Amino acid sequence: MAAMNEADIRKKLREFIKNNFLLGNDANLTDDDSFMGKGIVDSTGILEVVSFVEDNFGFKLPDEDLMPENLDSINNLVKYVTARTSAQ
Amino acid sequence: MLLHELLRNSAHKYPSKTAVVYQKERVTYLELDKRSDHCAHVLLDAGIRKGNRVALFLDNSVDYLVAYFGILKSGGVVVPLNTQFVHRELESLLDDFTPRFVITDTAHRPAFKGLIDPKFLLDTGNFIHEDSPFRVQAPDISLKDLAMIIYTSGTTGKPKGVMLSHENLFSNAASIVEYLHLKHSDSIMVILPFYYSYGNSLLTTHIKVGATLVIDNRFIFPNVVLDLMEKEQVTGFAGVPSHFAILLRKSALRKYNLPKLRYVTQAGGGMPASMIEEFTQAMPHVKFFVMYGQTEASARLTYLNPAFLKEKLGSIGKAIPGVQIRVLNEQGVEVEAGQIGEMVARGRNVMLGYWNAPEETANVLRKEGLWTGDLAKVDEEGFIYMVSRKKEMIKSGANRISPLEIEDVVSRMPGVMECAAIGIPDEILGEAIKLCVVKNGIPFSENDLLLFCKKNLAAFKMPRVVEFVESLPKTSTGKIKRSELVGKA
Repeated sequence: MAAMNEADIRKKLREFIKNNFLLGNDANLTDDDSFMGKGIVDSTGILEVVSFVEDNFGFKLPDEDLMPENLDSINNLVKYVTARTSAQ
Repeated sequence: MLLHELLRNSAHKYPSKTAVVYQKERVTYLELDKRSDHCAHVLLDAGIRKGNRVALFLDNSVDYLVAYFGILKSGGVVVPLNTQFVHRELESLLDDFTPRFVITDTAHRPAFKGLIDPKFLLDTGNFIHEDSPFRVQAPDISLKDLAMIIYTSGTTGKPKGVMLSHENLFSNAASIVEYLHLKHSDSIMVILPFYYSYGNSLLTTHIKVGATLVIDNRFIFPNVVLDLMEKEQVTGFAGVPSHFAILLRKSALRKYNLPKLRYVTQAGGGMPASMIEEFTQAMPHVKFFVMYGQTEASARLTYLNPAFLKEKLGSIGKAIPGVQIRVLNEQGVEVEAGQIGEMVARGRNVMLGYWNAPEETANVLRKEGLWTGDLAKVDEEGFIYMVSRKKEMIKSGANRISPLEIEDVVSRMPGVMECAAIGIPDEILGEAIKLCVVKNGIPFSENDLLLFCKKNLAAFKMPRVVEFVESLPKTSTGKIKRSELVGKA
């Protein structure tokens, strides 16, 4: 898989959140908003996020990484995915 | 004992003991008692009268407990509402139970815009006053008086308000305390919302014995909850099957050290036996209590003693102390061992009836007791095995959802001729919602449909799968054959 830069990762993740949880309208979601705080994703929703990350960025999330600091906002996701992909 | 006396009693016995842990707050029994006194004063000053309904629209928190006991101390009736409800759902419920006040917080206040005069909308900020100048003189309340109305999905699509007295709730709490052997040294990890009867029973039982409620509303990230369980050394955990599925499949459960965890309880629908075995293998020192109940019984009706878990796997056990369960045929005659009948319950925990629904009440509260709508059989040793639910309900996570309610809402969308909602198997939730829709010619997309649902239905009622179909299978009388759709799904 060709390496993606941070902007590409951000674009891809935002697009996914927008289409899967916001019915195509992400106008009210900032990159810092907590998905949990805004009620955007539920327990199964977060598992969809995990599957998306695994399928699209080429790594497996260990169970212990399922934490808000890695997954609970666009910014957290971007930071986590960027760190994981650049470490590969 | 009256429900709020449970708190008073524990505050007297264990004043400095921690009653609740939530985020950075640790509140003692004495503090909780005083703060709820203050809440009761605010309500009494505002003119509450005995029997007035007060809606509680809060997520699990210290404020929830303060308001809960404050309402009861003032003589009011607690009506907890699911905080995911949208405007349409709230409007219909408020119209049904006509609250005198609504208690909520800043975050949830906008949900009531246009629904209630703001002067009757009380913010939890009003109750922050730790030193109440005098103790509340409780109005003249008896055990038979109404303490709570808990709304539950109705088979007709309209939620039903289950009326529970102080006696109902107290007696059920006492039974649960007895069979779980709860003591003041216990502490429970609370992830179930208090606005459901299962969550409410955690509240009443632990306050009754002076134990600690450790609240965390972030189960969406189960490792966060496990961290807290480890840190607080909780002795108990309560969940529905989807919580256990997530713990086993999507958390680092096996990497945690939880030596103080004494027991877990599971209710809210049947859990696959294989998953129970998997959990007990992962946590061999933890007792696993399978339980069964319904809101109409204040929460609990049966439990399986963990000593019989292996031998009777798949059973919901036997009646809890103080409750009698019989399995009856349609004529009200007890069936023989191995035969299928409907579970009928008797006990002080059985509800007073449904709010404003005498016919629905008469359907389930009959001379034999509470007809649960759940079909079961009993083995030779008296262990009960549930067979199926008579009522058509979708069980998704901790929620019971009426397909009729979803169909009723979706049918109002221009372009929809008719539709059917069914439950489809879901590895985590147990069931997810699938919607089969027949269009009437006006074009619209799946996204339009989902936007319409989002506006009119709480998030947990949103369909996960939508299928557009030419027609729906029907019986000769025109009723949708849901079972046929389920078979095809």
